[in-house]
Amino acid sequence: MNFKNTKRLILGLGILSFTFACKPKETSIEVSAGDVDPTRFVSIGGITTSGFMDDALYAEGQENSLGAILSEQFKLVGAGNFNQPLMPSSSVGWSQNGMSRLLLGYKTDCLSITSLSPVRIASQGDLTGFGSYVYSSSNKFNNFGIPFIKTTEFSTPGIGNPANGLGLYNSFFTRMASDPLNGTIKADILAKNPTFFTLFTGMDEVLMFAKNGASVGSLTPINGAAGIGFDGSITDLLTDLTGNGSRGAVSNIPDVTDFPFFTTIPYDGLNLDADNAFTLNEIYNPIGIYFQVGKNAFVIEDPTAGAFGARQMVEGELILLSVPLDSMKCNKMGSVFPFRNEFILTNPELLQIRNTISGFNAVLASAATTYNLAFVDSYSFFKKIKTGIVYNGISLSAKFVSGGAYSLDAVTLNPRGNALLANEFITSINQKFKATIPKVDATKYRGVIFP
Amino acid sequence: MQKLLFTLFFFLTSQLVLSQGFQVNFQGQKQQGMGGAGTALPIDGASLFFNPGSTSFLKENSVNLAMTPTFARTLFVDANTNQSARTNSPMGTPFSAYAVYRKSAESKLFFGLAVYTPFGSTVQWEDEWMGRFALTRLELKSLFIQPTVSVKLTEKVGLGVGFVYCVGNVNLQKDLPVMDASGNYGHAELAGKANGFGVNAGVFVQATEKIGFGLTYRSQVNMSVTNGQATFVVPSSLEANFPNGSFSSSLPLPQVITLGFSYKPTDKLSLALDVNYVGWKAYDTLAFDYETNTSSLFDTKSVRSYENIFAFRGGANYDFTDKIAARLGIAYGISPVQNGYVTPETPDANRINYTAGLSYKVGKHFAFDASIFFTHLKRTDTNIETNLSGTFTTNVVAPGLAVIYRF
Repeated sequence: MNFKNTKRLILGLGILSFTFACKPKETSIEVSAGDVDPTRFVSIGGITTSGFMDDALYAEGQENSLGAILSEQFKLVGAGNFNQPLMPSSSVGWSQNGMSRLLLGYKTDCLSITSLSPVRIASQGDLTGFGSYVYSSSNKFNNFGIPFIKTTEFSTPGIGNPANGLGLYNSFFTRMASDPLNGTIKADILAKNPTFFTLFTGMDEVLMFAKNGASVGSLTPINGAAGIGFDGSITDLLTDLTGNGSRGAVSNIPDVTDFPFFTTIPYDGLNLDADNAFTLNEIYNPIGIYFQVGKNAFVIEDPTAGAFGARQMVEGELILLSVPLDSMKCNKMGSVFPFRNEFILTNPELLQIRNTISGFNAVLASAATTYNLAFVDSYSFFKKIKTGIVYNGISLSAKFVSGGAYSLDAVTLNPRGNALLANEFITSINQKFKATIPKVDATKYRGVIFP
Repeated sequence: MQKLLFTLFFFLTSQLVLSQGFQVNFQGQKQQGMGGAGTALPIDGASLFFNPGSTSFLKENSVNLAMTPTFARTLFVDANTNQSARTNSPMGTPFSAYAVYRKSAESKLFFGLAVYTPFGSTVQWEDEWMGRFALTRLELKSLFIQPTVSVKLTEKVGLGVGFVYCVGNVNLQKDLPVMDASGNYGHAELAGKANGFGVNAGVFVQATEKIGFGLTYRSQVNMSVTNGQATFVVPSSLEANFPNGSFSSSLPLPQVITLGFSYKPTDKLSLALDVNYVGWKAYDTLAFDYETNTSSLFDTKSVRSYENIFAFRGGANYDFTDKIAARLGIAYGISPVQNGYVTPETPDANRINYTAGLSYKVGKHFAFDASIFFTHLKRTDTNIETNLSGTFTTNVVAPGLAVIYRF
């Protein structure tokens, strides 16, 4: 062997090793729908299912709805097209009060301090986009996520009829109903002839009640006939949904009072200097309320609190993010002027709300058993978010804006939050129906967008 | 000299996890051909690394220059989504240079200088991979400069000690989960230079003509970054939360204790066996201490919890003629990374290394060594810090070449 041969040999080794260097091979992983027939998947629910977020229904939110994200994964195991009642893609959106969606911007408060804050993207909502009738009999919808729907309303005829008057119809259904004047949501769902469904209902009605400080309307009774009580309405809906042999998943509902809308302002966030403490003591000492320099509990209206109907908050009670922050910071709201009930959840109100949630959840859990459905424990999922989770290196919590899971309205999840919730659904569905539907890569979904 | 060293240094790009943790064991082509064993087999200048005590048993002066281009490819398959991502790390170029010199054939004293890259890795993950918020790129380089003295105490015993000066640098990058209006995520880059000191000492015993023993101790080297530069790209509204500035950190390069054994059944055949005990337990935490902390940027402590490990290396050398020799080797290494602590920067696993080598002498002065190395790693884990869950598969191929001048 001479030198030249050695060189050749070395060169040969080099080339050989290069070929070897060889990307590791990917072995294909089997995905299967198991006992699920995903052909015609229908998602049913409220704000989360619809993709309502940043306090508005708008296209990007809808594209990242719980229903839409699930449908993408079901497509991997044979689901068909997922048709949504989309808003126009460039629309500024439509809130329950006709406002445009929120985005993170800058706001200058009464103390002339400018800071990051959710601001409306436009001065008003997109009435033209929202008012367009989008139903098509040849392309029926798969997403029956209807913002602010009550569970009792799925079988209510004419629930999309504006003639019923404010509070007695749902304008988000009007635009997508086959028969807005007389039809029911349930009939439209059944007309799609679903082969698989998800049901995530009960949250919106509790949330609406809580968001108004438990001062407007009432909570749906846990028990009662269809259209009146929660359990009767659920039975009515699930009996018909499963009637044709369709399988599905049902979720329980979160403790809505864990949402950042209720947890951002601390009950004892009244910070006083000596002067202010003195002034307040002058006012309140006669009725037995005392202030100190430093942290104090805010003062609220409470008709049950003695002759003056005012008291300090106690630990556990919640101040809502709807409270006028400037009035609080500069005009002594929450101190000289007690917070009105609509901005507060008192302990008795919280008890009522939480009892309803646990009542609903008992109904939902037993319905899952009765109708042989996958059961999704969203209640625990939202509790985990509250404690804080880490997903692929991303820390998420229920902190307003910086927590990264909620949208800017502080009650709905952002796309990343929805993706994580969708994964909870997939886990339960896989378990129940022996399926191996891949979960969503939630890093591909956005969190909060910063300016 | 300093400038030269640094120039040299910056031409080096090291490589992904060639041995346990981020340790690299490409120090001599002959030993590489024999599974990385050589503590009790003084065959060339690489003994400065493998056992300074055995250097005094060398039969000639030499200068040895070697390079081992290293090709490593890692595939990650996410357990939750079934989606995959790959590394496109650059070719690694572990490098070693050894010079050994004694005044005359009768001299009991050898002087040596070794320059080598015992630790390093460059891992570059594909853009927008699912672990981007854990790591996008890690570049870790180290260059050891080791002046050495080796003494032949008796006909049977050699003793050697080298002083190690180490320079290194680290560059760690990851994306931050804060998005701007154009849809771009934030990015963090932590870069810094480090240096440290250590020793490499060994004793060699040529018990009989056929049997040799070696014992070496390479001390831990703490590579400390004192004035690293942290650079953040974030949406403008968050710039105050992520101030660019300095940081400090440190990385322990672990101590290694090696027991070696050699046996020459015939004139033509030599066998070598090494057992390494590596003090990876020193790598308990990776901490970053930022000069300026904010509500978003606080000092971090990532638990690594590495464990001390053993590695076993064995190989054979066969001299076909005076000029031509061939080698085969195998090594088994236990991973220091416990379950729950596997990261994209070191997707480590227990592994078997397969190696082969060839030598050819040209004329009186020159010789060439070649070696080839292959290993395959597979590890499935869920990291307890990031919750990244899936399977890392890595293939490494490294052909190496050395030029030796003997005098």
